[in-house]
Amino acid sequence: MEGGAERSAQGDAPDAVVALQGVSKRFGATHALADVSLELHRGEVHALVGENGAGKSTLIKLIAGLHQPDDGSIVVDGNRTAIHGAADAQRLGIAVIAQEPLIFPDLSVAENIFIGHRDQPRIVRWRKLYREAGALLDRLDVHLDPRVPASGLPVAAQQAIEIAKAISLDVRVLVMDEPTASLSAHEVDRLFRQVRDLQATGVSVLFVSHRLEEVLEIADTITVLRDGRHISTRPRDDVGEASLIADMVGRPTSELFARGEHEPGPVLLQAQGLGRTGRFADVSFEVRRGEVLGLAGLVGAGRTDIALALFGIAPAETGRILLDGHPVRIDRPRRALELGIAYVSEDRRQLGLSLPQSVTANVTLPALRTYASRLGLVDRAAERRAAELFRDRLDIRSRSLGQAVALLSGGNQQKTMLAKWLNTEPRLLILDEPTRGIDVGTKVEVHRLIDELARSGMAIVLISSDLPEVLAMSDRVLVMREGRPMGVFTRAEATEERIMTAAVGVA
Amino acid sequence: MIRPERLKELSLAAILVLTVLLFSLLVEDYISGRIFNRVTTSVVITAILAAAQTLVILTRNVDLSVGSIVGVTAYVTGDYLVGHPDTPALVAVGLAVLLGCGLGVVNGVLVAYGRVPAIVVTLGTLAIYRSWLIDHYGGRTITTDSLPPWVVEFPGRTLVSLGDLDLRAVFVIVVVIVALLQLALGRLRWGRRLYAIGSNPEAAVQAGLPRQRLVFGAFAASGALSGLAGFLFLSRFGTITVVAGQGLELDSVAAAVVGGVSILGGAGTLLGAFLGALLIDVLDQSLVRVEQVSEFWRNAILGTLILVAVVGDVTLGRWFRRRLSAQARPETAEVAQSTTVAVVGDA
Amino acid sequence: MPEALRTRTWELLLAAVLVATVVYNATQSPVYLDVDNFVNLFHLSIEKVIVAIAMTFVIVNGEIDLSVASVMAFAAAVLASLHEGGAVPFAVAIVIALAAATGAGLLQGFIVAKTGLPSLVVTLAGLIAFRGAARVLVEDRSVGDFPDWFRSLGRDEILGPLPFAVILFFVGLVVGGIVLHRSTFGRVVYVIGDNPEVARYSGIDVARVKLTLFGLSGFVAGVAGVLFAARLGSVRANIAEGFELDIITMVLLGGVSIFGGSGSLLGVALSIFVVLNIRNGLGLANVEASVQTGVIGALLILSVLAQNLVDRALALSQHLQDKRGTT
Repeated sequence: MEGGAERSAQGDAPDAVVALQGVSKRFGATHALADVSLELHRGEVHALVGENGAGKSTLIKLIAGLHQPDDGSIVVDGNRTAIHGAADAQRLGIAVIAQEPLIFPDLSVAENIFIGHRDQPRIVRWRKLYREAGALLDRLDVHLDPRVPASGLPVAAQQAIEIAKAISLDVRVLVMDEPTASLSAHEVDRLFRQVRDLQATGVSVLFVSHRLEEVLEIADTITVLRDGRHISTRPRDDVGEASLIADMVGRPTSELFARGEHEPGPVLLQAQGLGRTGRFADVSFEVRRGEVLGLAGLVGAGRTDIALALFGIAPAETGRILLDGHPVRIDRPRRALELGIAYVSEDRRQLGLSLPQSVTANVTLPALRTYASRLGLVDRAAERRAAELFRDRLDIRSRSLGQAVALLSGGNQQKTMLAKWLNTEPRLLILDEPTRGIDVGTKVEVHRLIDELARSGMAIVLISSDLPEVLAMSDRVLVMREGRPMGVFTRAEATEERIMTAAVGVA
Repeated sequence: MIRPERLKELSLAAILVLTVLLFSLLVEDYISGRIFNRVTTSVVITAILAAAQTLVILTRNVDLSVGSIVGVTAYVTGDYLVGHPDTPALVAVGLAVLLGCGLGVVNGVLVAYGRVPAIVVTLGTLAIYRSWLIDHYGGRTITTDSLPPWVVEFPGRTLVSLGDLDLRAVFVIVVVIVALLQLALGRLRWGRRLYAIGSNPEAAVQAGLPRQRLVFGAFAASGALSGLAGFLFLSRFGTITVVAGQGLELDSVAAAVVGGVSILGGAGTLLGAFLGALLIDVLDQSLVRVEQVSEFWRNAILGTLILVAVVGDVTLGRWFRRRLSAQARPETAEVAQSTTVAVVGDA
Repeated sequence: MPEALRTRTWELLLAAVLVATVVYNATQSPVYLDVDNFVNLFHLSIEKVIVAIAMTFVIVNGEIDLSVASVMAFAAAVLASLHEGGAVPFAVAIVIALAAATGAGLLQGFIVAKTGLPSLVVTLAGLIAFRGAARVLVEDRSVGDFPDWFRSLGRDEILGPLPFAVILFFVGLVVGGIVLHRSTFGRVVYVIGDNPEVARYSGIDVARVKLTLFGLSGFVAGVAGVLFAARLGSVRANIAEGFELDIITMVLLGGVSIFGGSGSLLGVALSIFVVLNIRNGLGLANVEASVQTGVIGALLILSVLAQNLVDRALALSQHLQDKRGTT
């Protein structure tokens, strides 16, 4: 489905500063980007919109030179170019401002701005440095003392440093990845003024954001990606929020596991007014036994933070949690486990699994105490039995149960992680992006498992950015937006449009 | 607005003054030319080593081999001078510095390019260098008499005397060197980059900074400075054996850490390390004079000092940085407001 | 099975090196294969190897304890000065010495666990501080005059040709091996060393484990210090100086990664014998003890360099396998 963008001839893209032509990128079996074309023109503010996993960050990394496209080409100033790394990007005048700016906390603001410059003089001229830094910051209407160390500065200030850095390098293409995520309204206004100023000097700005009202305010052109594919590119005046959402979600309904009918049981957990500064606020919901509560929303909406609060990694500062009507304090993971709460992390490699350890060892890790004999020795037979049970139940494929988890495929790693937490016999299972980065076949298996568990009376919280998955699996859906709950939809009420609107739309 | 380093240096200076005052109460005739002379003479070696260690610690590494480098360079230079008494001073010093630099280069290659952690490398070279020294020279001692007189007289050379206070040439030279290095770190691109790679190694790589070369350079510089310290050691003690310099690496780390150099890298100044060395030396020299405290407390106190300095740096440092940044932010009020609203919202 | 593969490979290599060293030494010196010489292997290093067992746990956990030699001296000094003071019975003095050493370990462990400071720097401070504490206790004197039974414990053969300390070492090796490789605690030590966040997210109390390990390290150093005092017959403040080099070398040469999470006690046991043999062989060849130290230093660096190489080789072969797999 091409949009309004002209498909330029290979290696020839009039007026475009940077153009991606038929670009594809694969990571293992996943297609992060498939045949995507995009053009950035001088002085244009081009917004890139799409839900999680749409391919936005991969696209940014391609422009930044962190990855190379598998297919297609990148055209800069009419010439096909390969961008290998930060130095190349800098030379071409491309600057990327990441969501988490890379800052040197012990150096001053001014030094942070100028540190990467290739042609910095051998002898630092402090007064000149401070003066130029100050001038740049003034231009951005940011009142920051360039002599101050950069540590502990708020995100807005760190961003300003990165923008100043880009300007000082004579940026021509400025890529901003979710720049307004941590800004206040006032700071957003200022950022937009900065963007317009840059635009006036001929800089192209690629603006990635999920805040549609801001996108509609600042962008000249809006491109929508979905599932790694280019869906549409339209001038601002031709779109509205509804059409954007439709582009973001519209997809042919595929074969997804369909859950049958069943009645959930009594309420297991109630969250009342949970809050954590800077993360989420005012969160209240309940989960019943045998129910799947979907937690939808975009990255940064606070869903994982809520999970971490329920699991005791990052407890809530306000509000209370009740289990079976009794208030509980969950201040560390061990406590959550005792209460029968398990959390399956979204990051299986960094947080979920101990990669060098065997499948068996990973499966029994949280419940290790129950496999200890009197002397504290591991009952290997018992833990192998447990691992075998789960291997059979979940169909975990590995050469042997003693094999290191690092060698398993993504899907089998995910199943090992699930086995690990199911082994703790939880009453409440929190799943964070359980089918991310795994193959379709395993995905179906996981969905079947979730259904089974719900039928057996387990309460399940399903955090997922995969809207079809959320819709297919959930009995009810709680939508989060920027740390605040936007509403709960029942199974009957929930549609992709409604959820997406709640997740991104104008309030 | 005052930078955090200046604040640390000022507080160190204040602590130094307080320490001197404290001892003046405990010891008779404390404040005199004698204590000044003693300290300025004895601090020079540690001061240079503290500077060397600082350069390395800034990059998030450590150099435990400095003591052995001092030993090797002191002994080799001494041995050479005994055999060639007509060697010009500059050549002799140059020999020590170059030799030290070479030994530092070995460290640098292994850490920066071999990707072996600094603790392992320098623990190993500490042993290897010392072992080579012992093996090569055996039990032979270099005696003061066999050295050219200018070498041994050097520490005693006074530039100017103000009453009881003798301003020794050595001390002045070391102060100048530290000042120059401080200037270099503050003004040279190279110096700022050293701070950067210690402050945030990933960002440094992303920004295209030549991390390996910088770490290599830090170790080479550390070795060179240790070589200089070796010469000073030779000149001060004259009679030295193959165990010269043993344990000095601990003093250098102590001085740097007490002087406010963060063990995590990226923060701290040479001036601070110098003040740290001064403070430790003052304590050393002064504790001896206090009746109730035996000299044997020296190491116990030193170790405790490091712990206090390091723990304090972590806890206070975090607090300080937050305060300073709050001052720099005009939007703090607004941000705080929006979050408060979020929390207090309707039930 | 990359981790286990690397460990097994390393163990095999060490076994081969051990055999080679033994063969070489046997050809160089006629007395080498004597039983007495075997015991003599340990003679000068028995305290080090005992501490190496505990150090293995610490390094597998992703930390390091540079203060062990100083804590050894500290414990010995506590014992000696208490005995000299005569206020407590000797057996009680031993208990106090061990408690003091354990306390030293716990203090450092507490700081590491609570502040998150690198154990490198905390134990470096400990190295200085506890050596200093030893100096405060025994000053520059040689303190001893221990009871005969104690001296006998340190020197005489108890079981066949084996002195008490050697028996203790082997017992410790077996017990340590069981705990590290077969107990739940041991597994947790590995997981934390590999990735403390994963451990935390799995409900493990990381701080408590670290505290325990440092306490253990202190305790074992205390035991070694007391045994050292028994063997020497007297205590000076500078005993065990520089022991940490040998100890850390034995562990790293044993295939334990300095970054934590991998390695085996079997590997450390093999490397202990390799190092002991090297020292023994060098000694028989009349190489100075201080020169031997240089060899150990080189071994230390080489063992990590070699680990890096092995890792890179394994990664390369994995990469090649992957490439072949996708086409």
